[in-house]
Amino acid sequence: MRTFKITLKAFFLVLLAFACQEKKDYSQAISDGRYFHQAQKRITEVIIHDIFSPPVAARIYSYSSLAAYEVAAATDPTHYASLMGQLNGSEPIQVTVPEGIYPPLSALAAYYQVGTALIFSEKMMQEHRDKVFAELKEKGIPDEVFEASLAFGKEIADHVIAYSKKDNYHQSRSFPKYTVVSDAGTWQPTPPAYMEAIEPHWNKIRTFVLDSAAQFKPLPPPPFSTDPNSEFFKLAKEVYEADINATKENKDIAMFWDCNPYKMNVKGHVMFAEKKITPGGHWMSIASIAAAGAGKDWKGTVEALALTGISLNEAFISCWDEKYRSKLIRPETYINQHIDENWVPLLQTPPFPEHTSGHSVASAASAYTLAQLFGDEFHLVDSSEVDYGLPIREFNSFTEAAKEAAISRFYGGIHYRPAIEYGVTQGTQVGELIWKKISTKPDQVAMKK
Amino acid sequence: MNKLVYWPLGICLLFSSCKKEAEKESNLFTLLSPEETGVHFQNTLNSDSELNILEYLYFYNGGGVAAGDINNDGLVDLFFTGNQVPNKLYLNKGNFQFEDISESAGITADGAWSTGVTFADVNGDGLLDIYVCQVAEIGKTPGSNKLYLNLGQNKFKESAEEYRVDFRGYSTHALFFDYDRDGDLDLYLLNHNVKSPEVFAQAEKRTQADPSGDKLFKNLLAEGKKGFVDVTESVGIYSSILGFGLGVAAEDFNGDGWLDLYVSNDFTENDYLYLNNQDGTFREALQELITSTSRYSMGNDAADLNGDGFPEIFTTDMLPEDPEIWMKSVGEDKAEVYQIKERFGYADQYVRNHLQLNRNGKGFSEIALFSEVFASDWSWSPLIFDFDNDGLMDIHVTNGITKRPNDLDFIQYSQDVDAKTPMEELRKKQIDMLPQLKIANFAWRNQGDLRFSNEAKSLGLNQESYSNGSTYADLDNDGDLDLIINNIDQPAFIYQNHSEKSGNHFLRINLESLPTNSFGIGSKVTLFAENRQFAQRISTSRGFQSGTSTTLVYGLGKVEKIDSIEVFWPEGEREIFPGSPSNQSLLLQKGKGRPAAFLPIQGSNQPTFPTIPWKHQEKNEVDFIKREYLAPKSFTQMGPALAVGDVNGDGLEDVYLGGARDQAGVVLLQQKNGEFLEAENPIFQQLAKAEDVVAEFADLNGDGFLDLFVGSGGNENPSGDLYNFDRIFLGDGQGHFRFSMNSLPPIGENTSTVAIADVDQDGDLDLFIGSSVVTGDYGANPKSSLLLNNGRGQFQDMTAYYFGQDVALEMINASRFSDLNGDGKPELILSGDWNALRVFTFENGKAVELSPKGLEFSAGWIQALEIADVDGNGKPDILVGNLGLNSKLKASREKPVWLYHHDFDGNGQADPLIFHHMGEKLVPFATRDDLIRQIPGIKKKHTSYAEYAQISKPEDLFPSEELQKARKLPAYEFRSGVYLQQEDGSFVFVAFPQELQLSPVGALAWEETSKTLALGGNSKDLRVDLGKSRNLSPTLLQWGAGSWDLIPNALSGQITPEIRVIRSISVQGKQYFLGAENNGSIYWIR
Repeated sequence: MRTFKITLKAFFLVLLAFACQEKKDYSQAISDGRYFHQAQKRITEVIIHDIFSPPVAARIYSYSSLAAYEVAAATDPTHYASLMGQLNGSEPIQVTVPEGIYPPLSALAAYYQVGTALIFSEKMMQEHRDKVFAELKEKGIPDEVFEASLAFGKEIADHVIAYSKKDNYHQSRSFPKYTVVSDAGTWQPTPPAYMEAIEPHWNKIRTFVLDSAAQFKPLPPPPFSTDPNSEFFKLAKEVYEADINATKENKDIAMFWDCNPYKMNVKGHVMFAEKKITPGGHWMSIASIAAAGAGKDWKGTVEALALTGISLNEAFISCWDEKYRSKLIRPETYINQHIDENWVPLLQTPPFPEHTSGHSVASAASAYTLAQLFGDEFHLVDSSEVDYGLPIREFNSFTEAAKEAAISRFYGGIHYRPAIEYGVTQGTQVGELIWKKISTKPDQVAMKK
Repeated sequence: MNKLVYWPLGICLLFSSCKKEAEKESNLFTLLSPEETGVHFQNTLNSDSELNILEYLYFYNGGGVAAGDINNDGLVDLFFTGNQVPNKLYLNKGNFQFEDISESAGITADGAWSTGVTFADVNGDGLLDIYVCQVAEIGKTPGSNKLYLNLGQNKFKESAEEYRVDFRGYSTHALFFDYDRDGDLDLYLLNHNVKSPEVFAQAEKRTQADPSGDKLFKNLLAEGKKGFVDVTESVGIYSSILGFGLGVAAEDFNGDGWLDLYVSNDFTENDYLYLNNQDGTFREALQELITSTSRYSMGNDAADLNGDGFPEIFTTDMLPEDPEIWMKSVGEDKAEVYQIKERFGYADQYVRNHLQLNRNGKGFSEIALFSEVFASDWSWSPLIFDFDNDGLMDIHVTNGITKRPNDLDFIQYSQDVDAKTPMEELRKKQIDMLPQLKIANFAWRNQGDLRFSNEAKSLGLNQESYSNGSTYADLDNDGDLDLIINNIDQPAFIYQNHSEKSGNHFLRINLESLPTNSFGIGSKVTLFAENRQFAQRISTSRGFQSGTSTTLVYGLGKVEKIDSIEVFWPEGEREIFPGSPSNQSLLLQKGKGRPAAFLPIQGSNQPTFPTIPWKHQEKNEVDFIKREYLAPKSFTQMGPALAVGDVNGDGLEDVYLGGARDQAGVVLLQQKNGEFLEAENPIFQQLAKAEDVVAEFADLNGDGFLDLFVGSGGNENPSGDLYNFDRIFLGDGQGHFRFSMNSLPPIGENTSTVAIADVDQDGDLDLFIGSSVVTGDYGANPKSSLLLNNGRGQFQDMTAYYFGQDVALEMINASRFSDLNGDGKPELILSGDWNALRVFTFENGKAVELSPKGLEFSAGWIQALEIADVDGNGKPDILVGNLGLNSKLKASREKPVWLYHHDFDGNGQADPLIFHHMGEKLVPFATRDDLIRQIPGIKKKHTSYAEYAQISKPEDLFPSEELQKARKLPAYEFRSGVYLQQEDGSFVFVAFPQELQLSPVGALAWEETSKTLALGGNSKDLRVDLGKSRNLSPTLLQWGAGSWDLIPNALSGQITPEIRVIRSISVQGKQYFLGAENNGSIYWIR
């Protein structure tokens, strides 16, 4: 409701600003990435409302940004190379760009269309789109240009949707649910909601770039043991003690990167879910912030979003493959059983196995991509979590941000250290591969072929 | 024209106004206003930042009310507890006039949060004292339990500390009873925890005592000392942090004459049933006697509902009755959470009221779904009493929660991201956002036959309220029970009962038992009249945080004279008092009756019988719910197989038992002395991999020796899998069998039944093999087969030839060959889930479906069939074992339950969706959450639970073009019973008696010489939101004069075994039945 008001306010401000203009030159109506930031913010809100899990959220971000990027590539082929044809299982898009379209509007339309197709609360998306479109109309985009732009946006979006439909997501909805096994050391559902392990078959989702979900198998976790002298016990003890002795800074870091889309609060019979952006949502927001900070136009912005989305998607597939290979017990379960039965981690344990840390893999992969795009030395003022009641944090590089995101899971009491260290390696490998295999630069695409 | 239109309207108006009048007059209860009664008590709650539902989880549990005559003037007085308002003691001055004497009586307004209240004469001075439970650390001042000793002259003195019962913690309620028969009243103190009930602890943790847990205090009065001593640790009761006790009752549940206890626990912990060991200790035995309980058990009451002298148990929970509210409220645990609780060691619990029907002290059948008393929304205090003195006990339930935490939209969608609001304000906002719904309490009137209907409206008990504690008492001494209810933010209800106008008779009884338990609390008083008994027990703790008076009031209907009265005193003496005309008040004094010995019910000392040295060991490798998330039941544990026949020609019937996966079958040869010995058959060990579910002896190769057919299933292997192949073993007439590899074509479906007859009339035996389910695809049409014998025991699949290429025999659980129509040839009779009784005859090499009249609406979930001429008219009848009536699924011709089977979202897996009627709506049985898990697209159609709850037909869920593609299978009839064949070949259904409808019937066997039917069932295969159903004892019955007579047998009352198959067998010249239990033993039913 509150965000809605802000949007309205922005709407009226824009109306005021443009009301005095007589000549309706609309060429600058969408110049920078602002509208895409807004649309992405909306998608983030819907993802939160609809309770999509982190891997699924990454998928939503990646296809919707890809659609917007493909408009940029189709309308400015000298500077941007289409990814369709480069990504696994994709066909090059064969289209003629019609005369008299306004490309950024097409891109925006494509973004909304693909985004809306992938979420549940379509109305939330449509309302937002309609408002934005009305605002843009006010900026003087003639009706025929508007129509033609939307039609072209739809054409590209249809291609991307058709591509997305073949990624096995749909089929995976009816794959068997995860069966909890009672072997010592294996993952058990965690309090308070004891949710089933989510997306146990995510490694069957088609990758964009990776040759398979298992391409970057991380090191396995240390052997499970309950022996107090074992490495495993010590790792758990380390998590426990880190929590007991946590500094305020550690706690702040943990909270800042919590990114739990579904935290169940329980008090007796009263329960309610509190929701935040997913790790993917956080990094998509960082991509937006970075693009804006780097002064990118709309094309540069959607390029950054598409590549970050792809990085996140690959990261989650790679990570989830390992999660259900090692099926490792969470610190909360282990510590409750063997160290302190009343211990509750600072962050609520998310419902899937421990190894590796999804946030670590996703953050490392996205940071790699963003560093490639904008240079790693980048003063990042991360305000992604402000709307969720958390402060701004500043970083001097994407790598620094990613490292903090990774270690935050240790401070939060939901991961052992190896899941973080191996996860960062895994994510970096994913990022490197993406930059090796695909490119948005026409000249480099030619070279890669 | 106009006149014609208006005229009927006028009539309507006339009628409706008449009806209104009539209704008003028929209101049995009248709500008296505070002005009329002087009872102005109102439990007003004030939620603020310091004390609210988020700070104290039981903030909205409300107060209690107890009834008792404090000054022995014959008028029952009332005590109300308040949470944030002072407790009140009201003196009954007659004629429904009450005076608040709290202050003068010394009932201090101590500012503490009070919960339960109980009257009892703890010091044996003949005056009722008052024990008030409180909670510590909540409220203005810290609470501790209070004991108000009655000093006489309406004066009390708080003496809890002096009596050492000033417990400080979180108490819910207290119960006074004499557990050790020493003559004084001991105290069971019911407490609740406050720490994170959502975090599951291992169930064994209940054995670790904690200061906050339940307590038992022994009264030292009989020892000549003052006060109580805490004996919790030595008496065998649980006193752990797992307990969230919300109700406690004392009754003799197993009929041994000693007082036992039932404790209902909220949240994850089991309820407790403590059996009295008769030596001052208890043994918790819930899971021996009860198969499932309420999940969020609230208050309870225990009393004899059906007039057999054994107490039933009623526990309340929070399932909404209104379909719309139901569909948007928290329901059963999701399958995976249910499994986690099981792993943590908790018993079966379901979110609904439970009515435990006492089976002669041997166990309980849970019948709330059958009795239609399973849903009364967020419920607190159940009271079992006779509303209208018609001689049948009714059930009143208080309900309502000021803020509804089980609203799913609140849980999932209420919390918008909000960074600006400070935490304290946010918490307030969250509480404010909790939905509110004020609804009426439930008043279920006993329709006889253990059926109830909510008649709150016509009884005048339908005022909307948030009601908590409740009690009944004859406040005006007119021989009926008035009703008193403690409400939140609303004056307490005092309902005057007008049963005196009904012409129904009554009897009031008070006991006197000097010296120490002066009111005889805990005594059971049974009236005998007209071959009926009316049993009640004096207990001053009932319902929720409340207690009833020491005066027993019996509704007697038309009974004018009581033959005799039995009093069973808590100290163990039994006395018979002479009868009396009804409409009297009697005072029965201990020692004045005729002493009589107490005869505890006898454990059936049956002579030992030959044991069958074999147990079925189920092995489940596939968790069906993970694979088929929406399927209503599992087919993964279908065995054992059981066949009976004389395999070695010694005139004695032998047995084959087929095991589950990795368990070999055995042939057991009957010896002359009736024992059974295993015959060497190594081949069974070699083929142990298959799960045997059906077996049959027959001479299949025509060599004169019995051969063995064994069918495999288990819903684990895909169609055509080797381990699903059925097998034929050829017998050598000595008890040895060899595997005949090529006898059967390799079919490999989930075999559920085999029927054997000479179908093609060529002199050899042919097979019909029915299949219950396509592996992993419940609702699909599996392949069943007709296999014809070439005379040498080799079979050919002739299904397509006989039935046609496209035959849809659907899911088949049972089949039989029998000459139904007397044409000299066998007909095939079959049925199964969502399948009617179907009859095929075989003519000219074709199967022809006969569709006899009377079977058109037989479709249900039929699991067992038997053919016998039950009524002796010379025409075979069809006996049917079905789902029964004790289920959330209710089917009728007009409102069938439907299975829609279709891949609704085109993802390659078909979805079996059950639609059932709730009121006039045809709604999905699956919850929105479960549906979304399987068909995420539904979320696009209904973005909230509230919207989902508006669904009234399948079209609201799916586009009609998708629905048209679905296979739609109805179920019209869930009752088990017999289709009696009439002279003209049509059938008329006669259901089995009600008590055989309490669980699915899975096995039927008819024994012709004694004309006895054996029946067994129960099911652990049903999904969590249907619930396991184990309420049926193995039963024998005989048909006499148009109805069934139940024949008691050694297993009567034993409700837990899940019987898959029953076979008649002759042992030493006598006919018996063998029943085989899944994952368990082989039982003799006799």
